[in-house]
Amino acid sequence: MDQQLIAGYAPSQPAARMENHGPHMLKVVMQSGHDLFARVGSMIAYEGFVQYEPNPPAVRQRASQWLTGEGAPLMRCHGDGLLYLADYGANVVILNLNDESISVNGTNLLAFDAHLEWGVQRVKGMAKFAGQGLFNVAVTGTGWVALTTRGQPVVVDCGRGDDETSVDPDALVAWSTHLKMKGKRSFKASAMIGRGSGEAYQLGFSGQGFVVVQPSEDSADRLRARG
Amino acid sequence: MAREFQRGHKAKISDLTAGRDLYVGVQVAGPGLSFDISCFGLDADERLSDDRYFIFFNQPKSPEESLQQLGAQSGDTESFRVTLDKIPSQIKRLSFTAALDGAGQMSQAQSGYIRIVAGGEEVARYSFDGSEFSTERAVMLGDFYFKDEWRFAAVGQGFDGGLEALLRNFGGEVLEEEEPAAAEPAQAPGFAPPGGASEQPGFAPPAGAPAPASAPPAASAPPQQPPAFGAPQPAATQQGPAPGTPAHATAPTIAAPDAYAQGQAPAQPAPPGPPGPPPQQPPPTQSFSPPQAPQAPQAPQPPQAQQNPFAPQAPQSPFGSQMPQMPQIPQGPAAGMGVTLDKYREAPTGQRWTLQNEQLARVDLGIDGQPVLARQGSMVLYQGKVDFSYKGAGFRGRVVGNATGQEMQLMRCTGGGQVFFAEEAATLHPIELQGDSICVSADHVLAFDEGLQYEVRRIEGHGIPGGALFTMVFQGTGTVVVTTQGPPVVLPVTPTTFADADAVVAWSAAAQVIVSSQVRLRRQAYPGHSGETVNLQFRGAPGNFIVVQPYEV
Repeated sequence: MDQQLIAGYAPSQPAARMENHGPHMLKVVMQSGHDLFARVGSMIAYEGFVQYEPNPPAVRQRASQWLTGEGAPLMRCHGDGLLYLADYGANVVILNLNDESISVNGTNLLAFDAHLEWGVQRVKGMAKFAGQGLFNVAVTGTGWVALTTRGQPVVVDCGRGDDETSVDPDALVAWSTHLKMKGKRSFKASAMIGRGSGEAYQLGFSGQGFVVVQPSEDSADRLRARG
Repeated sequence: MAREFQRGHKAKISDLTAGRDLYVGVQVAGPGLSFDISCFGLDADERLSDDRYFIFFNQPKSPEESLQQLGAQSGDTESFRVTLDKIPSQIKRLSFTAALDGAGQMSQAQSGYIRIVAGGEEVARYSFDGSEFSTERAVMLGDFYFKDEWRFAAVGQGFDGGLEALLRNFGGEVLEEEEPAAAEPAQAPGFAPPGGASEQPGFAPPAGAPAPASAPPAASAPPQQPPAFGAPQPAATQQGPAPGTPAHATAPTIAAPDAYAQGQAPAQPAPPGPPGPPPQQPPPTQSFSPPQAPQAPQAPQPPQAQQNPFAPQAPQSPFGSQMPQMPQIPQGPAAGMGVTLDKYREAPTGQRWTLQNEQLARVDLGIDGQPVLARQGSMVLYQGKVDFSYKGAGFRGRVVGNATGQEMQLMRCTGGGQVFFAEEAATLHPIELQGDSICVSADHVLAFDEGLQYEVRRIEGHGIPGGALFTMVFQGTGTVVVTTQGPPVVLPVTPTTFADADAVVAWSAAAQVIVSSQVRLRRQAYPGHSGETVNLQFRGAPGNFIVVQPYEV
């Protein structure tokens, strides 16, 4: 077989704990003592000796608010080796937190270091808009976090605009935690008679910080849908 | 404000920035590819007459330090510092190139750019991606050249032969010991990071530069950038399975935890495992320099502990015998979110329509206060006071729509502020009309200026899915944003131009559309048919074009 054609896709030597392999794949260097939380079902390949523990009790308790309380769709990965994760072809964005904190939409979280502080937040005011409510995971500390976005994301500074920044909740991926946030309806009487603009609800952000937005309003949780 | 360059664009540096001390960042990436990024200082005949002005991983600066290689930072794969006023007069052109190291070809590169940053602000950027290339192994990205004054040109020219061919092209001599160095960086002699570069007055790396740039370490402090960036590969980069001496083979296992401990941010817990050798260990006899190993310019010679024979043996993993080496966690300094997110930053304002990336477009409504019509639900974010209201497709459109249930749902965005549009991560193409007209398949219209005249037409034909194809004809002066799934192809209209009705996105309005059916008498003779029986044929004068996407909705 002529391997010249596929040779370009061989993994490169790891240079950091988390790396992209192409825009859609995450490569994590696993080492015992440095566990990782990843979305259940996101593993696509691994090399070495890596074990998975879905929904460990500690996670279950911390994430009891996630969706309907059926447990967080997280697994603890431990062992030595290389772990490859992906989410149905979504783009993977890797963040290296340096004593920082970020709030990530639950469906857009792919993996994070287990030693990071994290907790599930319920986004205030949104529960009654979107059917199932919007759940967020706030991650704090120094370490690595990987997000998935449908399409290449854009990072918008909230501080720059004169007014607050309004985001379609389906396109929202993550935001810096110290932003002020509120649910917003741009709802008019005309919308009651079937002539809405299609943009009825937004989240308004204000303060110093940034918002990460994906170029797609597809917020379906593919990893969860598969069960 | 960064100016976007296209291939072939040229500009005076003085028009871009008043700064003379520039940062040039190059980013190029592809799955499994690694690149050697270098800078050639050429004379008036475009020859590399002086080898000392070939700036690459083995020679990170020119003699008078007008050209310096700084390593990876701020999202750039490689970066250079160019001090225009210090460049000697015989150097008339600086050519920045990227050459593939190892297997692969340029078409596998995903995306990349070369950018110029002055005073912490990006002033110019030329972006490219692998689709512009084919089997090339090297590419000339951009040139600084001196014609009365320094200018910048976006070149984007590919080269088949890689770094060596580039060198030959510039008349450089490929020395015998240089050739393996280019092909096999793992065996190149190590270079000492530039010593006296800790003070860089007037030179600011781009905003959000990683910590090493702003926090100069004390001379005795452990280096900020551990050598383990790309460190654990002495055995892997060698050709063939022979791993060398036993000390060699176990070296990476030792090196990585050590580097991990050194490179740790203080907040992190110390990793378990054996204590690494102290950083004062003498450097090993043979060090290596990966082509893009980030070097902290101000750090002293990092102690390279990869092959230290005094270090205690790391416990081997249970698979140690089968696997050549178990990868360990190499860890650089925690860069922080700002740096990692920098490449996704919002593009600066200026024009009415700005493409943020391939999939997001931003319109600035405040510039002339003209409303924008967009597909309902395509807004992902807005800033400022923007009002969204319903906009019907007009009476005629509604009649058409009601007949088929395919009404185009629009909303009108008014007010002042910026609105970001996107749809299902489709690739966006803003088309600026200047009095001309274009037909766009209605499914592919994302947003357009209200100032454009438009009407909905239908193309009927037997066999078209859904009974008819709806197109919107735009005319006037303004911008239409068209979506495609994947990068499209633009074909000139010839006497025999056909397109699938599902895949065609847009065409120039002067082209005439005919529905053509392939009728083959013997079709029944075969158990199946090609499924490509109904096509649209386009006819028109030369100069007309059609746009086809690689996706049949």
